[in-house]
Amino acid sequence: MAHVLERLPAGLVWQGSQLAPPPSTTLATGFATLDRALPGGGWPAGALIELLTERPGIGELALLLPLMQQMAAERWIAWIAPPLLPYAPALVSAGLPLQRLLLVQPASVAETLWAIRQATASGSCALVLAWPARLDTAALRRLQLAAEESATPLFLFRTFSTARQASPAPLRLGLSPTAQGLQIDILKRRGPPAAHPIHLVWQGDTLAEVAESPPRPQQDPHDTPRLARAG
Amino acid sequence: MLWLALHLPALPLQIFTRGLADPSIPIGVIDASRRTRILAVNTAARTIGVFAGQALSAAQAIAPNLRVQARQTERETALLAEVACWAGRFTPRISLAPPDAVLLEISGSLRLFGSLGIIEQQAQDGLALLGIQARTACAPTPLAASWFARCGQASAAGTDWLATLDDLPLSILDHTEAPSASASLSSALELLDGLGARSIGAVRALPSAGLSHRRGQAVTLLIARARGEQADPRTWFEPPARFAHELALPEPTDHSEALLFAARRLFASLAAWLHARHAAIDHCRLLLIHESQSPTTLELVLGHPANDESHLALIARERLTTYALPGEVCALRLEAEHSLTHGQLTEDLFGAAGQDRNDAIRLLDRLRARLGKDAVRRLSTVSDHRPELAWQTLDASAPLPRAPLDKDKALSFPERRRPVWLLPEPQPINPQQFALLSDAERIESGWWDNSDIRRDYYLAQHKDHRLCWIFHQLDPPGGWYLQGYFA
Repeated sequence: MAHVLERLPAGLVWQGSQLAPPPSTTLATGFATLDRALPGGGWPAGALIELLTERPGIGELALLLPLMQQMAAERWIAWIAPPLLPYAPALVSAGLPLQRLLLVQPASVAETLWAIRQATASGSCALVLAWPARLDTAALRRLQLAAEESATPLFLFRTFSTARQASPAPLRLGLSPTAQGLQIDILKRRGPPAAHPIHLVWQGDTLAEVAESPPRPQQDPHDTPRLARAG
Repeated sequence: MLWLALHLPALPLQIFTRGLADPSIPIGVIDASRRTRILAVNTAARTIGVFAGQALSAAQAIAPNLRVQARQTERETALLAEVACWAGRFTPRISLAPPDAVLLEISGSLRLFGSLGIIEQQAQDGLALLGIQARTACAPTPLAASWFARCGQASAAGTDWLATLDDLPLSILDHTEAPSASASLSSALELLDGLGARSIGAVRALPSAGLSHRRGQAVTLLIARARGEQADPRTWFEPPARFAHELALPEPTDHSEALLFAARRLFASLAAWLHARHAAIDHCRLLLIHESQSPTTLELVLGHPANDESHLALIARERLTTYALPGEVCALRLEAEHSLTHGQLTEDLFGAAGQDRNDAIRLLDRLRARLGKDAVRRLSTVSDHRPELAWQTLDASAPLPRAPLDKDKALSFPERRRPVWLLPEPQPINPQQFALLSDAERIESGWWDNSDIRRDYYLAQHKDHRLCWIFHQLDPPGGWYLQGYFA
């Protein structure tokens, strides 16, 4: 059977062990190990992408910074209902063009959903980042359609508890902090289930890939002497 | 000279029907003074058997759901002026021919538009957007053009237009605007009718000396003007400096889609007014007039000067769908002033440069219209060493200051890291849960405005593995605080 399949022209029969044919365009994530694990070698350009985190501040923005740095001019990078303040000096030093950053703080859940949809469907955003409070499957489907039609990548930050909810998103990543950096579990992708999670490590305050040689088990910083209680 | 006449045959009816989203509602107009006869009806009313000239009581017996409106001549005059304003996109030389025609002198515009046919087509299409039906015709004299339009004659700008003019029925003269001469005109027409002269050509065949002797001068003068043998000076219409037009709704409604449909008529008119002035606006006012309450005013603010109706309609939609109306609306009024000169965006070879920018501005306007101005902001840095003062939000349409950005680069200490997430307020923490990963960065600043700080900042890792930005307060009462996350 195997050799029969091998003789078939490439692309004629999709086999379960392969990643799906790449979506029309992808955007490099900036991390080679992550690129290899995603169909098409990067973030899908017109899709809903779910990033599941337990709480903000674990490195979810550092994961997207390489993408944000390479976005096209004249289009917005929309941040809709972020849970904390994006800190302008840090974004500037990370090389983000502040004049294209649009900060939207809707007053209600319904308005948040409306704003996400408008920003995604308008086609005038290079990237939409959104922190919706809650979404049902129908709303997710509408967002996925809007992202597809306008070829705008839409990143939804949601909590791990929503992992059980079915989602039309073609890509769902679970993000959890580790002592050294960030662990990325690919919960859903177009292709076989990912065998093992991807690890990124902090280098200073930016995420970087794990060096090719297996890193020596690092000392947990919590084993270092604690600082004394002050005051 | 080449005159294009726009004759609006259904003006008394269309002041009501142009704002009506649902064409299946039958509407009849009656004369304001003699309130017993139907003057004009729309298609929906005609299909159920109501016709112009019918007695009102008969019409109401046939169609009990007929909406009857009394004729409003002042609204007709206003609409005629609106059409004249709108026609400014074709030529600056416009003359009103009340009660129901507008005359455009278009000899200077032919080359710009390409041909007469294109102008006529654009006029028809544009008037359809305003919700008005028009007949157009062309002739070298204004009077002939308006007569041709009234008779539904096709454009007769060729050499044989005089022959076509001769074929027109004499009764056409009865509609000609000349209130001073109307008494002598009607008596002369009566005389000619008695003589058996039915067409203009037949009158011309009569001996002119005898005709003028028998009080027929009014007729011969008009015919001479129409043929271009006598001068026919016209006063030019001056478009007002301020746009303010009203649209009556035949039935009061608070349905946002119906209101939007009617508002679109006004937006089309505003767009043409702006177009004629090469101008744009950045805000306008939509007044929703109620029967018994004071009008509701919706301010439509645009992020960037614009002059197209679809953009305005989008903003109005967002405002209308979220606005709780206090009652049913019986008329709309659109007001705009302070038009700005509009720098036309020149498109590049691939037509893309302006498009992206326009889309971006449109999105901004939509978000601001629905969510409010304060919900949509942009970020900017501020030259201050104190972390909580080193940023600000700006109005989304405000341009970012350019110069301070370079200065900030110098201030932002590339070797000193700043967190991507900032907490709204520093939170007191238990330092036992944090492991320090960096040396202290002393920030001591702000003695001049009484928010003096003295802090040592550290990059630290929390027990839950998050990278945090914490500080030790050096001034009493001291203590450790969390201010942000490196995310």
